[in-house]
Parts: sequence; C-alpha cells; structure tokens
Amino acid sequence: MSAELLAPKYLVWMAHGLLMTAWIALIAIACSTLAGFALALARDAQAGVWRGLARIYTLVFRNTPLLIQLFFWYFAAPNLLPETAMLWLNTPHQLQLAGFTLSWPSFEFLAGAAGLSLYATAFVAEDIRSGIRGVPRGQYEAAAASGLTRWQVQRYVILPQALRHVVSPLFGQYMNIVKNSSLTMGIGLAELSYTSRQVEAASFLTFQAFGVATLGYIGLIAVLDVLARQLQQRVALPARN
Amino acid sequence: MKIKTQVLALLLLGLASGAAMADKLDDIKKAGVLRVAAFDGNPPFGFVDEKTHKIIGLDVDYAQEVAKRLGVKLEIVPTNPANRIPLLTANKVDLVFANFTITPERAKVIDFSVPYFASGQQFLARKGTLKSPEQIASLRVGADKGTTMEATLREKYPNATVVLYDDTPFALTALRNGNVQAITQDGSKLVAILGNLPDKDKYEIPGFSISEELEGVGVPKGETRLVAYLNDTLKDLEKNGTASKIYDRWFGPDTKAPLPRLFKIGDAHIRTQ
Repeated sequence: MSAELLAPKYLVWMAHGLLMTAWIALIAIACSTLAGFALALARDAQAGVWRGLARIYTLVFRNTPLLIQLFFWYFAAPNLLPETAMLWLNTPHQLQLAGFTLSWPSFEFLAGAAGLSLYATAFVAEDIRSGIRGVPRGQYEAAAASGLTRWQVQRYVILPQALRHVVSPLFGQYMNIVKNSSLTMGIGLAELSYTSRQVEAASFLTFQAFGVATLGYIGLIAVLDVLARQLQQRVALPARN
Repeated sequence: MKIKTQVLALLLLGLASGAAMADKLDDIKKAGVLRVAAFDGNPPFGFVDEKTHKIIGLDVDYAQEVAKRLGVKLEIVPTNPANRIPLLTANKVDLVFANFTITPERAKVIDFSVPYFASGQQFLARKGTLKSPEQIASLRVGADKGTTMEATLREKYPNATVVLYDDTPFALTALRNGNVQAITQDGSKLVAILGNLPDKDKYEIPGFSISEELEGVGVPKGETRLVAYLNDTLKDLEKNGTASKIYDRWFGPDTKAPLPRLFKIGDAHIRTQ
C-alpha cells in the first residue's frame, strides 16, 4: 500500500460522483416512496384486479437481480422505442422552470433513476404494507363504526399508526437504495462507484480510491440514519403514565 | 582490479537476491503450468470459440507458443480490461496476454515484454456521423472501463462526453441503441466487431487514428529473467515466421476482417503506409 494521497483532480472526480449518487438516490427514494404507498394500498384493495396487478409487480421486481433490471432499462428497452424517440432522449434539452434552467439528464441517468425507483418500489411497498397490517383489526372496526368512510379510516386512523411502525424499515430501504445505486455504474452512470473505479484505473491508488468511496457511502448513510432518528422521535407516541 | 571486484560483488549480489526470492520462470517450469490471463470477449485477441467453448485468439496463440517453448501446459484465465493488473499483482496468473497496451503508468506496477502487436485508437460510428477528429469533441463516445482509450480521449478531446462500460459488447449495444454516437477501441478490434455486426452497412470506421498503442505481455514486477525469456521467444517467433503466421490466422486476407500488418516484433513504431 502506498501512502500517497489522491491528487485534488481525483478528489474533484470523486466529489462529482458523490453528488451524482446523492442525486439519483434522492430521486429513487422520493419516487419509490410515493409509488410504494400506491402499491401497498393496491395490494389490499377491494378490487381483485388491483390486488392481482400489484402482486405481479412485486413478484417481477423483487425476484430478479437489480443489475439485470438496469441492463434491461438501458440496453434492452431502447430497442422497443422508435429510433426518433431514442434520438430525442439522447439530445440535450433545456427546461425553463421558475427562472431556473434545468439541463436534460443523460440517458444513463434516466434509465438508472427509473430502474432503481421501480425496483425499490416493490420493497418499500412491502414495508408499508406490513406497517398497515400491524395496526390492530379493532382500529378498523372502531373507526368504521364511528361513521368514517373507507378512505377516512385509512387517512386518519390507520396510516398515522402504520407510519410509526414503518419509519425504521423504510429508512433501511432508503439505505439500500443508496448502496444499490452503485450498480448503475454498469450502465455507465458516473456515480461514486464509477468515479472511484475511474480514479483507481488512472492513478493505481487502489486503497485510496475505494477508501474515499467507502467514506462517501458511509457519510450518505449516516445522514439517513440521523434523519430516521429525528423522524422517529417526532412520531413516537408520548409515554403513558 | 577494481572493476573485477565490482563485477564479483554484482555477481554475488545477483546470486544472493536470486536465492532469496523465488524466480517466476523456475516456478512455472516446476509447476508444469503457465497460467495466462486472456480476454474472453474480445475477438480476435481472446474470445470463446462457439464450437469448442474454449478461449481462442491471437493472444492465446502467442501464449501457446510461449508455453510450448517452456515445455509446460497452458492454462487460460478469462479476464476483462480492468482486472488485468489485479490478476498479476495478486499472483493469480503468471502472464497477461490480453491486448495489453504498454504505458509508463502501468509500467510502474508491472513489467512488460517487447511489443508483439501494435495498433491505433480508432472509432466506430454510424455512417456519416464522424468524418474528422475535430468532431469528436461534440460527441458522446463509449469506451471500456480501465483502458487507456478513455485517458487518451479525455486528454485530446476534453469536451467530448465519455461514457464508460464494463466491456466492449456493452459499449457496442449502447452505440446500436443510439445512447452514444461512437465507440472507441483499437482499430484492429473495431474491424473485427464491424465484421460481425448483422447490420454492418449502417456503420463505419472513419479513416483516422488518434494514438499509437504498442501491446506487450504483462509480467509481475521484477521478474527480469522471465521478461528476458519472453523477449527472446517473441523475437524468435518473428524470425522463424510464426508471428506472421499467427497474424494471418486472425487478420490475413482470408479472414472476415483483413488488416495489413503494419508492425513487426522488434519495431519501434507502426509502419506508416
């Protein structure tokens, strides 16, 4: 092992990678949480069609490796799209939003964010569902007896209680999203794992390159950990005397 | 007298160090097996033969000649560009025959034989997209992770967008999907890739090269006797015509992708036509 430190140039590469990892993880966390709620509700829906569809979704996305799913969205799915659509997706566009200019993300980013979100949704939904299931049956009956509609029962009685059970496993899934985002380097997304490998190949400072990447991931996970603790304290039931 | 003592001291030193550390060349002969890392997805250098399911190619032919001369069995370990150096430094293989470009950076970590193959970095693009090197700056170009292609591209065209993939087949799929507009590789490899494409009429290799790559055998650092042995072997293969026979087997006029031989073992540079 050499004691040499990484040159500033390489640290800049790694910083870009870290930002990319944080960015794609954030998007995947937001999307999978929203979609996960919908999927969890669909799995316990009254209509059998929704239950069936939700079941198939969970089966497909939980039972195949994430790397294969990412390869599918990046390498295989484009074959289904017409050539002009691919051309459009790969040309930079600019989006004017409230005075900000948003630049069009690369196809690597689009495919990576979609793949990660779709995969994580299946897991997030299962956790939310177990939280909902954890609410005692009597709560439904009591709420329904007091004249609330089915939606009101969910919104005011069940979900607030379910969320308390769910904070910890949900943040576990978010941590998995951060770590799983490293697989997007397989489809050429320049996130933290990609840049660490790039730095390693350019500098041969193997220990330093992967060491910095490790610290980067630990840092991101630590942020999630702190958030989870704070949220848990906020939603915790007041102690009974 | 003084010179004599110095020679004697050097000799003793040589003997001492030879005795202290095991010599790879002897180890290979003793083991009766030469472990060589070669590509398994990079025709015609190293790839899996459809019929025999064994790894074959130009690199494997050279490795076979070296094993034959050593009188040992050849064992091929499949590798990819990024794993070549780790395999050597971790002593998982004795030599690397995997289209391995000699660079000063790499030579700090491992040793190289004299070059036995040379080529230039070229591009494969959809017909009409890439006419001159200046256009590269405005394109998205796919390359293999852990290769010199990426570094050269960044150095010469800092404005180009480089997208890295694990292997050439992935980069090729990205090109065919339209995710990148060109991919970059050794010209010799691109010729082979183009030759195998089902829709090859849509693609071309523009007639310029942005570098000269000299490829040698990767050897663990400090194995001077092994390097000398390899160099002698390679030069002999050139002298007795084996080198040109091996070349013709993969790039000769009767192959799918003929390419004139512009480099001979022992040359300093690619011959310019």
